[in-house]
Amino acid sequence: MSQVISLADIRRLAADFAQSGIVAAPLPTDSGKVFYQKVAAEEVQNIVLDGSLKCVNSIKEFLFPRHEVLYTFLRKGNDVELTDAPVFDTPQLILGCRPCESASLPILDPVFAWDFNDRFFQSRRAMTTVVSIACQKADSDCFCTDVGGSPENTSGADAILYPLDGDRFEVRLLTEKGKVLFAGKTTESSDVGHACEGPKATLDTAKITRWLNSHFNDPLWSELAHQCVGCGACTSVCPTCHCFDIVDEGSYQKGRRVKNWDYCQSALFTLHASGHNPRPDQGARQRQRITHKFAIYPEKFGAILCTGCGNCSRLCSAALGIKPALEKISSEAAEDLMPVPPLWVRNTQDK
Amino acid sequence: MQAQENIYQPSRMTVESVVQQTKDVKSVKIAFIDPEEQKKYKSAFRVGQFGLYSVFGVGESVFNICCSTSSDVVEFCFRRTGRVTDALWRVEPGDVIGFRGPYGNSYPMEKWEGKNLIFVGGGIAMPPIRCAILEALEHREKYGKITVVYGAKSVGELVFRDELDQWAQYPNVEVVKTVDPGGETPDWNGRVGFVPTVLGEAGISGANAVALVVGPPIMIKFSLPVLQKLGIPDEAIYTSLENRMKCGLGKCGRCNCGHIYVCKEGPVFTQAQIARMPEDF
Repeated sequence: MSQVISLADIRRLAADFAQSGIVAAPLPTDSGKVFYQKVAAEEVQNIVLDGSLKCVNSIKEFLFPRHEVLYTFLRKGNDVELTDAPVFDTPQLILGCRPCESASLPILDPVFAWDFNDRFFQSRRAMTTVVSIACQKADSDCFCTDVGGSPENTSGADAILYPLDGDRFEVRLLTEKGKVLFAGKTTESSDVGHACEGPKATLDTAKITRWLNSHFNDPLWSELAHQCVGCGACTSVCPTCHCFDIVDEGSYQKGRRVKNWDYCQSALFTLHASGHNPRPDQGARQRQRITHKFAIYPEKFGAILCTGCGNCSRLCSAALGIKPALEKISSEAAEDLMPVPPLWVRNTQDK
Repeated sequence: MQAQENIYQPSRMTVESVVQQTKDVKSVKIAFIDPEEQKKYKSAFRVGQFGLYSVFGVGESVFNICCSTSSDVVEFCFRRTGRVTDALWRVEPGDVIGFRGPYGNSYPMEKWEGKNLIFVGGGIAMPPIRCAILEALEHREKYGKITVVYGAKSVGELVFRDELDQWAQYPNVEVVKTVDPGGETPDWNGRVGFVPTVLGEAGISGANAVALVVGPPIMIKFSLPVLQKLGIPDEAIYTSLENRMKCGLGKCGRCNCGHIYVCKEGPVFTQAQIARMPEDF
């Protein structure tokens, strides 16, 4: 037997949740584009629950906001009073995201926890319930199956919806949080939902990682650089990009320290005060982005820092993004007859 | 278990003293206001580590902690270059600034015991060497001969130049100070020449030695062959890397050289380790 809920009941559930918590779900803007946005109780009618939908942005901004206050300060004579930012404690529901969005969350967990716990990400993560929707249609930018995902990947989700006919959904409850959310809201049924087949996997990520580890200096990077305008749009819609800047706002007397999204495609990202820049050109910055996702992060944290969502390619004004880059690397790697041993050996202090 | 601690919030520190070292370099001593935080710092700090220093309302920058582990205060040194250092330039004793740290790895001082130590530095790179020199001098009996080769463009640009002569007073310590040709003054009593050249002419023995080389890339590049010629293996040549950092905690994603996060796995590396790293610094 399956558990089924109607669209109207999901809207009611969202409206109830929004009374005392935050609901984030796909909402259309005036331009017709759909973004994951905060939804007020009276807006739940506008939520788009569509398994074929590809929102422009990512759900990451509800766990890792583009702008977040770390603490405030107030000068009192010579002294300075510091006030910690409040710990995030509002229940939050992310409703109707793609499985490739929810899958980013467990991938991001370790970087915010190695040695130092980033309370800002972790408290939001703990307070958030994620309900994804099984993918009904992959487009030409999708490649979840290449990076270990699938149209019904449940990783990071607390429940997953499968569209049925007649504005109904099958709900599969995955965690305790999911069970609590839907408790008493579903009815039993014999209807079972399905996901689409998903994009056909064509890439060998292990081979790509090996290639990256041995091609730090490769003409491909300048080839990509000539195409890339360095706008960083790809990083802002990427569910796994998590680099940030720390800056002060306010005056000398009174203000706050904030964490803002930053992006590796900017020359300023690594520019030293001396004027020296370790990544002086766009090729070096493209290399950093791809290598971080497919070689550095897997080695450090055991997961590819990419869910194959394709958000980057859909938004890129230069027809780049991760998938086209991986395809280029794959064809280069195919020509490498001899496997090259990795140049980068993980740093260990000499014992 | 969920963390409540805010890893981005600095400790409040009172500025104890400020010394102008050169026309654009100052060293500052800062003391913890909270004794608990000081205790935590003192039990954690090892020479070679770095901290993040805040002027509230302006921002935060990374510098080495240039004092030894016996120091109750935190000492750092900076060159006036950008927004934050411009604000730090104006701090006076009694002001309150922020400090986070100590972060990163450290010089393996225990491993260096019984060895001859060679310190090679240029210009503003004295602070990350000074902490190791002070540490070694405070435990003088544990180390063999100590040689310091330090140079700057001109006499006025030598950082901690008063201390150079004091260090030379210790037994079995040789301090070779030099300035680039044209940088000398009439009363200059040191050498004239570039650091790698002076290093080669200093008659240093490479036997049973470890070297710490910090300075501009060009100085490091030409000093390495000199040290290698002395017979010092790459595993015994250390340096301290600097890369732009924001968090110091392995999160913000910019200081990495390939797989290596300089803020967590560095800043101290041996030449052998650096040779295996991609040129991302």
